[in-house]
Amino acid sequence: MAQETLFLKNTEAFAESLARCGVKYHFAYPITPATDVMKRMAVILPQYGGEMMQMESELAVSSALAGAACTGKLVATSSSGPGLTLMHEAIGFMCAAELPCLMIDSMRVGPGDGDILGAQSDYYVATRGGAHGDYHTIVLAPSSGQEIADIVPQGIRLAYKYRTPVLFVIDGVSAQTTESTTLPDYNDYSAEFDTTDWAFTGTQDHPKRALITGSYTHQDGFDMNEKLRAKYATIRENEQMWEQDQVEDAELVVAAFGIHGRMCRDLVSKMRAEGKKVGFIRPISLWPFPERAFTALPDSVKNILVVEMNHGQMIDDVRLSVNGRMPVHFLGKTGGDMPMNTLAEMIAEANRILGE
Amino acid sequence: MENLSSKYGKTLNLDKLTSYCPGCGHGTVTRLVAEAIENLGIMERTVSIVGIGCGGFSHHYMDIDAIEATHGRSPSFAIGYKLARPDNIVFTYAGDGDTCAIGLGDLLHAANKGMPITTIMVNNTVFGMTGGQMSPTTLEGQVTTTTAGGRQVPHQGYPLLVPEMMRAMPGVKYLARESVATPKAVRKAKKSIQKAFECQIKGLGYAFVEIIVPCPTGLKMKVKDSYARCGNEMTDYFKPQVFKDETEQNDVA
Repeated sequence: MAQETLFLKNTEAFAESLARCGVKYHFAYPITPATDVMKRMAVILPQYGGEMMQMESELAVSSALAGAACTGKLVATSSSGPGLTLMHEAIGFMCAAELPCLMIDSMRVGPGDGDILGAQSDYYVATRGGAHGDYHTIVLAPSSGQEIADIVPQGIRLAYKYRTPVLFVIDGVSAQTTESTTLPDYNDYSAEFDTTDWAFTGTQDHPKRALITGSYTHQDGFDMNEKLRAKYATIRENEQMWEQDQVEDAELVVAAFGIHGRMCRDLVSKMRAEGKKVGFIRPISLWPFPERAFTALPDSVKNILVVEMNHGQMIDDVRLSVNGRMPVHFLGKTGGDMPMNTLAEMIAEANRILGE
Repeated sequence: MENLSSKYGKTLNLDKLTSYCPGCGHGTVTRLVAEAIENLGIMERTVSIVGIGCGGFSHHYMDIDAIEATHGRSPSFAIGYKLARPDNIVFTYAGDGDTCAIGLGDLLHAANKGMPITTIMVNNTVFGMTGGQMSPTTLEGQVTTTTAGGRQVPHQGYPLLVPEMMRAMPGVKYLARESVATPKAVRKAKKSIQKAFECQIKGLGYAFVEIIVPCPTGLKMKVKDSYARCGNEMTDYFKPQVFKDETEQNDVA
């Protein structure tokens, strides 16, 4: 498909971007508010010579995803909180097995069956991981349809460069927002990477290869973990991504990802117009967390306000990053008819902190 | 050292020291699988997806690519793999615990999808690797470390008849239960395993072979006694038979 600007749901922007960037096989199970991704993939992937395979559970989804990823081909899945919970068996496995793939979590209210309304409740499970062991998943949080289209190639490159799953998280409100997005020309970004030195394609291509994440000796387990530790250190060093504005002389910095991060642009321009020294940081990579954005904050910053569509999850990483240099405040909610704080509420809280 | 590949083929790796216990039925089944792959000339494009448990060792004795899946998920792994690499031959190999306890859902949906995949389920009626616990196929009254008084039905369930559950599925094109209790049974098992791979080569659909084997260690029996049990109590309940053979259909691959 050629480049075109479409007015479409952001779930569909995800589907279009994945297919146009080279995803051939998509595995999924219906769940609100992520179903639109698989629906559109079912229609468009055959046009790219691929297929959307509906499985009987997210557990099977993630296992099939892992099996397909073993071939080196670009594969993806999409789900929401309860589905992501089920997928963690294979997510931890794929991290250990060093298999690249793309995943989308269109976040809804949790815990339990929760609510189908949008939320940012999966920050912990995305960045901390819900599977056993010392592993990390690269987590990217786009905040608009255009950023989805722009960040998918980056996600593919990270997945293949580091041979690891990459998870896109987006709150269900943004996921179901309809807006204009310029979708790219078709280009298989995974083709930039040679998979022949690791993919399990049969001994027609190489001497026997075995994918083993279990330990046959205790030293095997130690070696696998040290290899992963070194890889994660490299990712932490090189792949922190964020957007920031007007932090240079700020007294208050608002930190938010996804939709609240997007709202921070309006918050800062409105408050700056009133002479308030406010800036913002919008983390784009949630793991690795953009610690550098926070450690580099000038001494003028006296307070940080974290806003999330949950009860305070990313705030932990902000606090770890500033390491006690300044107070970190929180504003957030999850669920209800209006499952997030409004811009007016964000500004009121910012003013309250400035007035303290 | 004598080169044994002229006698046993290139697929079977005889240089590896076996991890199977003395008398274990896996050794026979692993060899039969390797011989089927060898005979069909598909070694270079065959990939083994093994489960967790003693069956996970099987790929070490074959010079083919292998993927050690998560526990019970090898059928779903195989679906993903086959979708992405339809020209390769993919088979799953696991025991009764992996295949029909934790993995039953994955197994039945894979069978029902009817994609050309081959599954070998090695049934010894016990969780062997963890030291002899009850599995879904543990026989009524059978003593294991978790059924000290013997398996009580109905409370602890009835021994699960897995191929019987697949019989009505149209996507399953080859379906059999065999055993390794006697040389004659082994010859029949060899035939069924080969057919299960042919079914996939022809692109016909899903193929499943359950093989009843002894686990002298898990059952705490002498090897000879465990084979006698395999040929009697085990196969009295798990009756060896070819449930379905539609491999003579025209190729669709």
